Amino acid sequence: MATLHSERLARDFSDGTSLRRVLFPTTLTLHPGELTVLSGPSGSGKTTLLSLLGLVLQPTEGRLRLDDRDLTDLDEADAATVRRQAFGFVFQQPMLIEGLSVRENILLAIGIQGERPSAAHQAKAEALLADLGLAGTGPLQPRLLSGGMKQRVSIARALVKDPAVLLCDEPTSALDAESGQAVMRILKRVALEERRVVVVVSHDARVFPYADRLLKIENGQIVADARERYLP
Amino acid sequence: MRSLVALRLVLHDRASTAGALLGVVAIVFLVGQQLSVFFGLLSFMSVLVDHSGADAWIMSRDTRNLDAGKLIPARYLDRLVGLPEVEWAEPILIGSNLFRTPDGSYETVRLVGSRRPRYAGGPWRFAAGDQHALLDLEAITVDQIDLPKLGRPAMADLTEIGDRRVRLAAITQGARGFQGTLVFGTLEKVREIIRTPAGQVSAIVVRFTPGTDREAALARLRVVLPYASVFRTEDLSWLTRQYYVTNTGIGGSFGFSTVIAVVIGVVIISLTMYTSVLGRNRDFAVMRALGGRRRDIAFVVCAETLIITGLGLFLGFVMLAGLLHFALDSAIPCYLPAPVPIVLAVGTLLVSLLASLFALRTALQAEPAQVFH
Ligand SMILES: Nc1ncnc2c1ncn2[C@@H]1O[C@H](COP(=O)(O)OP(=O)(O)OP(=O)(O)O)[C@@H](O)[C@H]1O
Ligand SMILES: [Mg+2]
Repeated sequence: MATLHSERLARDFSDGTSLRRVLFPTTLTLHPGELTVLSGPSGSGKTTLLSLLGLVLQPTEGRLRLDDRDLTDLDEADAATVRRQAFGFVFQQPMLIEGLSVRENILLAIGIQGERPSAAHQAKAEALLADLGLAGTGPLQPRLLSGGMKQRVSIARALVKDPAVLLCDEPTSALDAESGQAVMRILKRVALEERRVVVVVSHDARVFPYADRLLKIENGQIVADARERYLP
Repeated sequence: MRSLVALRLVLHDRASTAGALLGVVAIVFLVGQQLSVFFGLLSFMSVLVDHSGADAWIMSRDTRNLDAGKLIPARYLDRLVGLPEVEWAEPILIGSNLFRTPDGSYETVRLVGSRRPRYAGGPWRFAAGDQHALLDLEAITVDQIDLPKLGRPAMADLTEIGDRRVRLAAITQGARGFQGTLVFGTLEKVREIIRTPAGQVSAIVVRFTPGTDREAALARLRVVLPYASVFRTEDLSWLTRQYYVTNTGIGGSFGFSTVIAVVIGVVIISLTMYTSVLGRNRDFAVMRALGGRRRDIAFVVCAETLIITGLGLFLGFVMLAGLLHFALDSAIPCYLPAPVPIVLAVGTLLVSLLASLFALRTALQAEPAQVFH
């Protein structure tokens, strides 16, 4: 699978009158097969970095590459197409769409640009559901599921397109301890066995043991970058 | 998949779907109903011309509509019948007088006299009796729709119009004039009732010989009758309608109520679509993050509008058909010429797409980055 590089990626936000630098130039190489945890205090820029890495936010400066492909300066439609092909997202809330069944929510990640999901995609969606302990929930409305189940559906939605990169923003913070552990075990396996780039933003200490690499960010700057073996 | 998403959203967000549906149905039904009354009245205005079976109408010079012509000499007929282009030419007399109802009161009626045996310009459809009834010199017809107004005279009843004795010999169907109750009779009887001097008629209707070039024939008639107006039947029908529409304010008042109906529909559609999209803002941001381009979001919103409009058109037309069915046998004028429903459907579709532009704009503002907040 692919490697994600950021070169001096930075982002400013205007707070009405003046521009404020929320993320200072950040150079990172994120490897497949590794679960990277990004932690730091509230407002430190974790979500901003994750959004830049996921092409949902344009950097003020710097470049982003997926292997050799430069992803900076893409127009709206091209950026969407890259997200559709290569990036999976898991958010703090499951953000499933009410009115669509669980299966349709998952397949939407394939069909959002108008494609009809193939039989292979349908089979993949069912396999993912079974794999995530959600066998048989495909035809159900999301509101019938518990919070932990919904979050696992959203992981299935992120994985159905076989993304090179999986970006998760506090995926466990809305869940109870047990569901949170289950989600982390899945993410860990996705990184390790399926050789994807997985980044998990979290300030939940219970997540750290799953990390292969732990990044700490403060005031928009990476202040620590540690591999598993250096962790206490 | 995008159309499926649109369908699911429409089915799930029942309140806003119902609201937008109401807007579409309001446009189809209200505008359709207005138009059917309008076209109904239009058909009344020119009913005699439209059912004359003639190719051309000859009236006095400078005539602007069927009901405002001076009398013309009946001897024009002699000049016409000899022409090779003319298969037949028939005189018509039109005028008004008072009809005495069985209870002794009076109603103004519009009399139309036509000549035996062809009765061109005469009655064309009967609820009781037939054309042969007019062979009797005293015979007249009244229309089914006017029977209550005229005190429900029975067949073969004797009464008076303009103090002349007449006998109800047939009952017509669909003979409704804009100027009021239409009564058909023989040329001689009508001449007597409306006191027209002999040798004068209101109009002459002409049928061309099959295979004749119509334009050439019309030009020929104009040469032969330089002191008369020669109309194509369609032109006279159009002129008569145009005259009433512009001179009675009917056009303006129907235009106004149609515009109001459209405005109400547009307001309902745009408000409900806007609220619905606003409520779905987060979902549109999710779709963007999943890889949806702006145009995919636009597709979903437009598909939602199309689905709702399609459903609304169906409901609206079913209701309209119900109303027309009910109104057909009543005194309510109603008539929808074939192209009108199609124009109405296409117009409604455009209007409702236009009304959803505001919602579309809002949906397109959903940014993928929103999903992280
Ligand atoms: N769209 C925006 N406009 C202006 N300022 C923004 C915007 N998004 C983020 N910020 C600011 O950037 C800073 C970093 O925000 P970010 O969301 O990246 O923090 P975070 O580390 O994810 O915090 P948390 O743990 O609370 O989620 C904050 O001060 C925030 O107010
Ligand atoms: Mg955050």
